[in-house]
Amino acid sequence: MSYTRVFPLFAAAFAVVYVLSVEGNWALVTYHPRINEWEWLTRPAKSGPPMYWYGWLATSFLAASAISLVALPLTRRWQPPVWIGWAVPLAVMLVFVYLLRSFFLR
Amino acid sequence: MRGRAVFTTLLIIHGLMAVALLGSMTHQTAAALWPATSKASFISSFRGVAGARYTVANIILYVVTGLLGAVVYVAYRLAVRPYLESAQLWTINGSFELKEQFAAIGLGMLPLYWWVWRTPLDPKLASARGAVTALLCFIVWYSFLVGHVLNNVRGLFGR
Repeated sequence: MSYTRVFPLFAAAFAVVYVLSVEGNWALVTYHPRINEWEWLTRPAKSGPPMYWYGWLATSFLAASAISLVALPLTRRWQPPVWIGWAVPLAVMLVFVYLLRSFFLR
Repeated sequence: MRGRAVFTTLLIIHGLMAVALLGSMTHQTAAALWPATSKASFISSFRGVAGARYTVANIILYVVTGLLGAVVYVAYRLAVRPYLESAQLWTINGSFELKEQFAAIGLGMLPLYWWVWRTPLDPKLASARGAVTALLCFIVWYSFLVGHVLNNVRGLFGR
């Protein structure tokens, strides 16, 4: 199946877009759990804490799918190296350890 | 009170699914990184499984466990995290922050994971198969341990 050639690219793109979404707070949706209300895009707190994690996941899924779709014709001549599918997510995990270091250094 | 019982039930199912995923993923990782040809001992039997047969089950378990975690996350955000912050349990709080990010990254790797474990197994993908599976195995172990510790610290509606 030809579309499977982009799976390494999808994994890498998903991880990169995800860390950018978290850092830039690019959430496709915001959930307000206290009042059980969903809103499109990133919205400030209404009543109680807002939750952006679902929105970051949605942003990452859509963006990685779009990147993979655009890259699909290119993969007929160029096969993305498989290692980017695990090396980039691993690097992003280390970036998260660095970004969240303040929790562990207090 | 009924809502609390529902969340607690879902948390228990989430934990049970995670246990199944943990065992299944660990078997497959051992088979990918340290394959055994004989099954003469307990250790070699543990490593000697047919790794490819675990792939679809692991994907389903990962997604369902993640979905249940996403539902229970609401109760965590409202009832547990404020407690962790007020009690200044920063390491525990940060460990969960990492868990949610790692689990999300693992979700994006699932199509690749399925691809590298397609049968017949491609020998050229052996190293990628090992790396992808080991990384997902680490994510599953880390998530399980953090969730377990967090539940010991607070539970969902502890007082």
